[in-house]
Amino acid sequence: MSAKQTLTTLIMALALIAVGTIAAAGDVPEQVSLDTMAKLFNGVEFDHAMHTDLGEDCSACHHHTTGTGTSNERCMGCHAGSDEATTVRCSGCHVAEPFSAKHINRDASNRYQFHIDMPGLKAAYHWNCVGCHEQMDGPTGCQDCHTRTTAGDDFYQINVVHAEAAGRGGH
Amino acid sequence: MSGISRRRFLAASVAGCAATTLAGPRKALASGTFSGYPDGMGVLVDLTRCVGCRSCEAACNKEQKLPAPDRPFDDMSVFDETFHDGKQKRRPDENAYTVVNRYNPEGGAPVYRKVQCNHCNEPACLSSCFVNAYTKTEEGAVVYNSKVCVGCRTCMVACPFHVPAYSYSSSLDPVIKKCIFCYDTRLKNGLPPACVDICPQEALTFGKRKDLIKIGHQRIETHPGRYVARLYGEKELGGTSWMYLAPVAFDQVGFDPTPGNEPIINNVKDFLGTVPMVLAIWPAMFTGFHLLAKKQKGHDDHEHDAEQQQGEDGGEQ
Amino acid sequence: MKSLIGWGVKPVDSHVNEKNDKAWTFKQKLFLGLTPGQYLGQALRNPFNWILGIIFAVGLPLIAYRYFFGLGAVTHASNDYPWGLFLGFGLFVMVPLSASGFMLGTTVEIFGRHDFEPIERLALLNGLLGYFFAVVYLLIDLGQPWRLPYPMFVSFGPAAVLFLVAWHVATYLSVQVAEVSVSFFEWIGWLGGKRFIRRIAIGLTVSGIILSTLHQGALGALFNYAPGKVHPLWYSPFQWIHFFCSSIPAGLCMVIVVSTIVKKTMAWRCDSNFSDNLDRCTLGLAKGASLALITYLVIKLIGIAHDNEWGYLATGWGAWFLLEMAVGVVLPIILFAYAIRHQVVKVARLGAMITVLGIALNRLNTALIAFNWQLYQEIPHIFEVIIAVTIFAIYIVVYRFILYRLPILYSWKAQPEEALAAEAVRPAPIRTTPSPAGAMYRKID
Repeated sequence: MSAKQTLTTLIMALALIAVGTIAAAGDVPEQVSLDTMAKLFNGVEFDHAMHTDLGEDCSACHHHTTGTGTSNERCMGCHAGSDEATTVRCSGCHVAEPFSAKHINRDASNRYQFHIDMPGLKAAYHWNCVGCHEQMDGPTGCQDCHTRTTAGDDFYQINVVHAEAAGRGGH
Repeated sequence: MSGISRRRFLAASVAGCAATTLAGPRKALASGTFSGYPDGMGVLVDLTRCVGCRSCEAACNKEQKLPAPDRPFDDMSVFDETFHDGKQKRRPDENAYTVVNRYNPEGGAPVYRKVQCNHCNEPACLSSCFVNAYTKTEEGAVVYNSKVCVGCRTCMVACPFHVPAYSYSSSLDPVIKKCIFCYDTRLKNGLPPACVDICPQEALTFGKRKDLIKIGHQRIETHPGRYVARLYGEKELGGTSWMYLAPVAFDQVGFDPTPGNEPIINNVKDFLGTVPMVLAIWPAMFTGFHLLAKKQKGHDDHEHDAEQQQGEDGGEQ
Repeated sequence: MKSLIGWGVKPVDSHVNEKNDKAWTFKQKLFLGLTPGQYLGQALRNPFNWILGIIFAVGLPLIAYRYFFGLGAVTHASNDYPWGLFLGFGLFVMVPLSASGFMLGTTVEIFGRHDFEPIERLALLNGLLGYFFAVVYLLIDLGQPWRLPYPMFVSFGPAAVLFLVAWHVATYLSVQVAEVSVSFFEWIGWLGGKRFIRRIAIGLTVSGIILSTLHQGALGALFNYAPGKVHPLWYSPFQWIHFFCSSIPAGLCMVIVVSTIVKKTMAWRCDSNFSDNLDRCTLGLAKGASLALITYLVIKLIGIAHDNEWGYLATGWGAWFLLEMAVGVVLPIILFAYAIRHQVVKVARLGAMITVLGIALNRLNTALIAFNWQLYQEIPHIFEVIIAVTIFAIYIVVYRFILYRLPILYSWKAQPEEALAAEAVRPAPIRTTPSPAGAMYRKID
């Protein structure tokens, strides 16, 4: 084995380790940035570590994808013994634009019977977070998690002065 | 029926026949029904998912460039607004093409209902419009051409959902105003309407109407106890592009529980069908009566009959 | 006017002024042969004109106000009640009350009942003006009245019931203008025009029947667009038959009402042919109206039975419906029956008045009161009421203006020389010259 070969192997080994470390870190991130509505609301720095510390099973949020099994009866039919999925990130399955023409017209033969009604990323976040927060007495107000941007303030027209204008709504 | 709209076809046939009679070809309409374009889009509104955030109202306001609202869109006090001695909740009008109302069904959590045009398969507004201002597009939207709107407001009378509104405040250009499914800016380009896009809860599911029907039934089946077993708009009034799922009986959240499955136009088909008959039969019948009446007269006095004839048909001094 | 006649003034009823054997000028005809001073005097002496004046003083500015500030400024017409008083009264009440034109046209021209001729012209005029003012109300109510010709020329919605209404009312208006123009041609002295109309009279009348049947019915069919909004007692799948059928007594009774008013207030303008035959004609019309009312009552009952709506009769709406039926339909039937049996014209006139109000109530109920019965009740804006009254006042003024002048209530006295001259200049007669006996038969000629 020449010095050159040794060096190459060493570099490759180092590289592998490095990649492995990053991959391991990516598997259980400390923080997750959620910014699907970044225009109107500031992104959420989701404290993943804190939420994992709450002691819930991963499947509470990640369904069957973490390989820890699932308690949902409807999922168990297929996923009772599922291994860890290739991607565990929410956006791996829940698309950011569920109503794009591309997604709506995706090849029907690739759609699993139970997955045709899968929520998009934004809905997945809200259902998961708010649903649990309601049970656990976590924050549930919109701006408890994500504060509104100036664009958001404009969007919701928070600066309009309320006038008892007649003929609105009822007429 | 895909490329050419039924209305257009009829209009063309009418134009062709107009020379013959004034109203004869109207009969053509009295036959057949239309159940929507095969790939028409729709929206499934799931009232169990709506949290009443009013983001859809804000998005609609922005997308359709509507005037500023009376209250901010994050002001939830609008849910307490009622009109006409508490008999009416908010409804779409010229300044808001969609509104969300809150209902408090007996012994349950509040339910929020979004109201907007339901984009019927056979729209009552369209079939009642005497200037043909409305069009049901292939994409499923019911749009209208304000440039020909005379302002008779028959579409408002006809709409079973109380949707079209009128800009009564305008003196020079008052027209009908209603939700158009964001047709011009979005639907036409394959995009979902602004309200669907903004909804944080996916209470609004955008898709092909035929797929949404499947999804709707699937939700009812897979979540026993969550929904009443009815997909409102699948068949009601001939079917609508926007359909609803609700956790409680529909009359508890402001819907007409028994609108029937016939499209509104079926109610006037009988009358429209009699039009050509009247046109064809009346002239012969009454001319016949006229001749009979004259014969009778002449029976006893032939001399007089001849004179009368002249007197009637142009006799002068 | 009465006092002027007392002083020996005779209103124009022929081409030639009897006093100086000179032909009346057009201006003189307009002033009824009075001097402008005399005319103004009689107008000012009439207290009714003062009432009209007050109505116009308030109403006309309001009409202008409506066009400057939009419908929202003068009506309570809302998104739930798109049609207010302008259509509820102006269109849906005025049109059935104007069915008189085609009814009397049919009676006289088609069935050859020339005994009704003395009142035929009044019925035709009543029809024309009623329709014309229904259109005027429409022009007030339409958001963009300048687009009224759109369904005719710009954009066609032939599958809509309103398209049919628009076309038929427009066509029927022209038919009625033609029918009434006979009087006008007599008045201006253009016999050619009159001859032409007489020649096509049968055609006009038959087309009048067709158009009337269809659009009287179509007005009813308009409510078939709103099956969930009109109260079931006022709604029927056969709404068009209900509307058509009830327009018959409405039109006939409107003629009785108008002729009664005319006889009282315009006796100077009525000639003996009109006045002497009026009682007989009134009873005849009452007979027709009562038959139509009975038919209407039966249809109404069948309507309730057909849709099995008996349960609704026990509700408040049911009481209101029964009141409408009892007062607007059954009571007139009884009055007419009494009047015809005992030949009491006064009772027939009372019955006619009640019928007119009854049918008007039916239309208002359908279009406004029992409309949106599950929502809330819209009360018309006070400006809306004033404008509706103002238009009706204009209707009365125009009606009176025409009755004063055109030979509707009286026969135009043609001068023999003039008649001969007219025959002489007649270009290439298509028909043989009618015999004098033929002309004699027609009293009006």
